Order: sequence, then structure tokens, then C-alpha cells
Amino acid sequence: MTTLALIRPSEWEIPLFFHVLGAMVLVGASLLALTALATAWRADDAAALRVGYRALLLGALPGWLVMRVFAQITLDKSPFDEDSTWVTIGFITSEPLLLFLIAATVLAGISSRRAAGGTRVRVAVVLVAILLLAYLVTLWAMTTKPA
Amino acid sequence: MTDALLFLHVLAAFALMGTVVVFSAVALGSPVNTRAVSVANVLWAAGGLGTIVFGVWLALDIDGYGLLDFWIIAAIVLWAVATELGRRAQDAVTDRAGGLFAQWHWLRAAVVVLLLADMIFKPGA
Repeated sequence: MTTLALIRPSEWEIPLFFHVLGAMVLVGASLLALTALATAWRADDAAALRVGYRALLLGALPGWLVMRVFAQITLDKSPFDEDSTWVTIGFITSEPLLLFLIAATVLAGISSRRAAGGTRVRVAVVLVAILLLAYLVTLWAMTTKPA
Repeated sequence: MTDALLFLHVLAAFALMGTVVVFSAVALGSPVNTRAVSVANVLWAAGGLGTIVFGVWLALDIDGYGLLDFWIIAAIVLWAVATELGRRAQDAVTDRAGGLFAQWHWLRAAVVVLLLADMIFKPGA
């Protein structure tokens, strides 16, 4: 780990705090959505479907926004290079995979409105599972900062 | 070694916040999803153990950090308070009508956010 990661100048501690908090809410809400949607998939549970949809809409998406905005502010104020491998991994797992998050939210929303599971919920579960795996890789990249 | 410890420590912290998010949904009126609450309780136990074990290990491993640093003592105290509040929230989650669940949960959430702030700002370091 670099010395920079241990001793941070104060001007980017506040954006870093909100970046990490947003990421934690994003991961937590995605986890809640995964378990709720998996329950809806297996048991055809309308209440679980609503929980999964709301977790994505009201937890994961706002969490993503806070994480991403404050990631950019942190990066701008810090001496880190935007072309670093670990920063690139962060970009890859945040922006393109936002489409996965939006798609899962839309699919869960349609299923929730129609109170019917089926293929849409299965696809949403798979998308959220992929997102969580990608977030795990991102967490590894952010903490170990590979060259 | 330090990289691996830091990864595991932060992963454990994410597990703690995952529990807080799941319980927040319940506190905000979401129906209790048994599976989600069970997963959250497992994450709370694993995250609690992981943060303290890997956190203390990191403090001993990194030159310049010590267990007697103010921010590390503060983190250990906050961790202990969060653990107790979490135990009370978990006991009360099935009896939300009692009114105590929300109280213990939001207190725990506040302490976990304070813990994150302590880790980022490292007061006294």
C-alpha cells in the first residue's frame, strides 16, 4: 500500500468519506435487493418483490450517484493518477455497470407493478449478482491499489 | 500482507454497513424478509469479527499506527457500542410493535457512520 493511502491531506477526506459511504449504501442495498428478489423468484412473493425493487430504486441508485460524484471529487483533489489501473477498474465497474443496475431496477419495477415474477425477476437477480461480484473486485482494487 | 489485511478489514466494514441498510429498510416499514434479515445477521457477526480482528492486526502491522492512538481507541469503543446496539436491534427486529427496534437500529446506524468517519478522518493521527 502506498504511503499516500495512509497519510491523506485533509482537503479530500470529506469527499472520500461520502464516496465510501455511498459505496457502502450501494453494496448494502444491492445485497438486500438480491436476497429479496431471490425470495420472490423462488416463492413468488409479491412483498419480497416490492422490497427488492425499492432497495434498488431508493438505495442502490442514490448510493451509486453519491459514490460516483464523490469519487470524481476525491480523484480531482488527490494526487492519484486517473490512468492508474485501480482507478480504471473503478471506472469500469461503476459507469458501464450502471446499465446493469438500471436494467435490474426497471425489470424489478415492472414485475412489482404487475405483481408477477417470472423471467424478469430471474434476469434482475442475475444482474444484481454480477454487480455484487464486480463491486467485490472494485473493493479489492480500491484497497490494494494494484499498479 | 498489509494490502490483504486492509482489503479484508474494509470488506468486513462493508458487511457491517450491509446489515445497517437491510435493517434500515425494516425500520422504514418494509416487510420483514426473513432471508434478508438472516443474511444481515450473519454479515453483522462476520463483519464485526472481521473489522476488529483485521483492524487490530493492521494497527500492529503498519509503522506509525499504534493501538493507543486516539482514533484507534475511539474506533474500538465505537465498535463495542455498535455491537451492543446491534445485539439489541436484532433481538427487537421480530417485535417491531414494541417500538424499541427502530430506536436501537438508528442508534447503531449512527454509531457505524461515526465509525466510518473515524476511520477516514483519523482524529489525532
